[in-house]
Amino acid sequence: MSGYLGSYATLGLLIVVGALVFVGAFSANRLLSPSAPNPAPDKYRNYECGLDPVGGDWAQAQIRYYLYAFLYVLFAVESVFLFPWAVIYDRPEFGASAVVEMGIFVAVLALGLLYAWRKRVLRWT
Amino acid sequence: MTIAQDALQLPHLNYGALAPMLILFGAAAVGVLIEAFVPRRSRYALQLVLGLGALVAALIVVITESGTRELTAGAAIALDGPALFLQGSLAALGIVALLLIAERTLEPGGPFVAAAAVTAGTEEDRTQAAREDAGTEVYPLLLFALGGMMLFVSANDLLTMFVALEVFSLPLYLMCGLARRRRLLSQESAMKYFLLGSFASAFFLFGIAMLYGFSGQISFAGIHSAIQTSTQSTTLLYIGLALVALGLLFKAAAAPFHVWIPDVYQGAPTPITAFMSACTKVAAFGALIRVLYVAFQGTDWDFRPVIGAIAVLTMLVGSILSVTQTDIKRLLAYSSIANAGYILVGVLGLSKDGLSSTLFYLVTYGFTVIAAFGVVTLVRDADGEATHLSRWAGLGRRSPLYAGLFTFLMLAFAGIPLTSGFTGKFAVFAAAIGGGQSWLVVFGVVSSMILAFPYLRVVVMMWLSEPGESTPTVSIPGALTSATLAIGGLATLVLGVVPAPLLDLTNHAAQFIR
Amino acid sequence: MSHSILAAAAGQMGTGEKVFFWIFGPLALIGAIGMVWARNAVHSALFLVLTMLSLGVFYVLQAGPFIGMVQIIVYTGAIMMLFLFVLMLVGRDSSDALIETLRGQRTAAILIGLGFAGLVCTAIARAMGSVSAKGLDAANQANGGNVQGIAALLFTKYVFAFEVTSALLITAAVGAMILAHVERRRENRLSQVDLMKARFAPGNYPGPKPGPGVYATSDSVATPALLPDGTFADRSVSKILPTRELSGAESAPKGTER
Repeated sequence: MSGYLGSYATLGLLIVVGALVFVGAFSANRLLSPSAPNPAPDKYRNYECGLDPVGGDWAQAQIRYYLYAFLYVLFAVESVFLFPWAVIYDRPEFGASAVVEMGIFVAVLALGLLYAWRKRVLRWT
Repeated sequence: MTIAQDALQLPHLNYGALAPMLILFGAAAVGVLIEAFVPRRSRYALQLVLGLGALVAALIVVITESGTRELTAGAAIALDGPALFLQGSLAALGIVALLLIAERTLEPGGPFVAAAAVTAGTEEDRTQAAREDAGTEVYPLLLFALGGMMLFVSANDLLTMFVALEVFSLPLYLMCGLARRRRLLSQESAMKYFLLGSFASAFFLFGIAMLYGFSGQISFAGIHSAIQTSTQSTTLLYIGLALVALGLLFKAAAAPFHVWIPDVYQGAPTPITAFMSACTKVAAFGALIRVLYVAFQGTDWDFRPVIGAIAVLTMLVGSILSVTQTDIKRLLAYSSIANAGYILVGVLGLSKDGLSSTLFYLVTYGFTVIAAFGVVTLVRDADGEATHLSRWAGLGRRSPLYAGLFTFLMLAFAGIPLTSGFTGKFAVFAAAIGGGQSWLVVFGVVSSMILAFPYLRVVVMMWLSEPGESTPTVSIPGALTSATLAIGGLATLVLGVVPAPLLDLTNHAAQFIR
Repeated sequence: MSHSILAAAAGQMGTGEKVFFWIFGPLALIGAIGMVWARNAVHSALFLVLTMLSLGVFYVLQAGPFIGMVQIIVYTGAIMMLFLFVLMLVGRDSSDALIETLRGQRTAAILIGLGFAGLVCTAIARAMGSVSAKGLDAANQANGGNVQGIAALLFTKYVFAFEVTSALLITAAVGAMILAHVERRRENRLSQVDLMKARFAPGNYPGPKPGPGVYATSDSVATPALLPDGTFADRSVSKILPTRELSGAESAPKGTER
């Protein structure tokens, strides 16, 4: 297994093994568990005692989740740019300049994190 | 494994010539730091000093570098005559707009909201509207926008141009939504601008892909040489040109893509409207003229009729619809659309004259329109600015000085001699006739005559009506707004009376390098 | 295997590529159709995730591993999750409006859609016929790999645009925080003394509230406790809960005694 797609074979194998483990675990559970369901009518109600479910299952999410997701997008983009940088920064032609370039890029984005920290965006209260 | 590893070489960066952009981006980053670390009280003064300092420094650097004619940063940025001229105009207009933005004496705290995240109309919103503090994020955003605009007019390939387009658009979308008064209107305008602007950006990007498909290049020089030599079908070229032009004409507010202008100009805080109407126009036309003159030279016969038709439509839509407006900000918005048409007429001269007259018009229009919006910020009642035209009746009796200034600016818009509006229109129309586009000039003159009507109606209303109960007061401007009005009014007058120095400068600058 | 990949670049498909294409092609299509079809906006978004993941695999197959991974990490991982949060914020139910706000919108949309489909089909037909695919292999070989090639462009020719991108990202971050985060002002923060004073202020009851009623037939938190005179104690039930009246079926034995 060499060549372009061959290098993804390991990944494919991992996915297959992962799926097998998942299926295996659940099958084993199924085989080993006793199968005598409780016939009581309310067995499968959400709450057997206590509060009846009222209204729908949807609740409005807090806007701070949005901010976290947004910061995550930013740093995902940044990390994507780090990959190509990581494969070439040590080439002799570049010297320190590639490091400086990436340093500026990361520093400017870190500014955003700094801003978020000072504005208490990162505090969960 | 013998792979031909090309020697990767960092491109040469001419830091001196790039300095205006670097200064603005650097100052904007420092501005964000100030927002994060400096106590609320002292932010305003610091940000104002930082912003003014950065813009003045950028202007000085542009002037000292004015002889530069080179491609730098791996030919991604062209610092030639038009680029440097437009960068200088952006810095100058940016300074004037910043003065207007920073005005805080007209209402406590200035025109910007303190906490934009507070829901509009709630109890908390009312208490914060009464408080005397205001958000200062608008200053770093302004610097980011101006830096992006400077890059936009000097970008020498479509990728850099697209990044610059986004860099200057994003702060504009934000700034539109930060008004202290009438916040829902302001947020609506930001939302509209953002949605339509994203569509325009998407079209621009799609056009880049098409042009890359045609030429295999995204640099303007590469596209130009592909047009000369390619034997392929030109379908992709024309689709690409149309989509890229659409993206740029959207920002420039040309007619079928103008629908956002009135709502956004009306809803945005007035100083931001002034900034947009001056600087966004400079940036958009700077980029459009570079794309048409540098990359698409040689396809003149194909794009000229189409863009000519757009110019005619723009002039007519702007002038005819401005007749029906009842709100001063919307009136100025439609007038800005019509002016985009006049600038397009100059662009279609497709000659050195066309280029220099466009540059000239952009500067004269920018100064006049900032001053006009500056006067709009002064006419206020208890609810903020009184922008309905009926409220302006009799204003000449209330405040002859500012009504007189506004009259002068309106006459400049109408193109009366001895104002910069006349010299600018004369220059673009002359360039169009020189380029054999007399039909555009006919429409230009007709639409100017239509457009004179709404301007003169405002003037007549201000001077010949009696001030009534509901006539608002004209606030006494603070030092910053006074400076804006003085600079804008003087520029309008001086460029109308002695336009020769600036015309010489634009003639000197009007040469692209490829 | 490597020569079959080179063949793929020249327009033929290798076996591996074929297998993956016929697995992920239908998945991408199902995702796209499901996105339009689903009534629930969250389900639509999840279908879109499926399509985007499949597209990422296609990019990888077509010798563009970098763009494939970006598609998966940024678009599917980050942007779609952001999109989901926005949907949760706006409300899942608010997307069900099927009323045309613009007259003739639906007709126009169908016509434009057909036109676009025609355009795409023409382009594909042309591409199948006269155009010979160039492939990415030559570009990938030039600098020793796909990622290296992108790095070579990013850090030499487009280095200025790359650096300016950071300005774009920080503007977006600051903008999101301006518009979505309410900074709590210092003077609005209550100290412990203030809280204590408010608690013992006249009109406020400083003690704990009574618990809900516990009965033989119901120990729900929504069942109010009884006061000594036999009336319900309103304070014993949280205000956001509807008061619970037991139905006959509920007060009957629940069948758990067996």
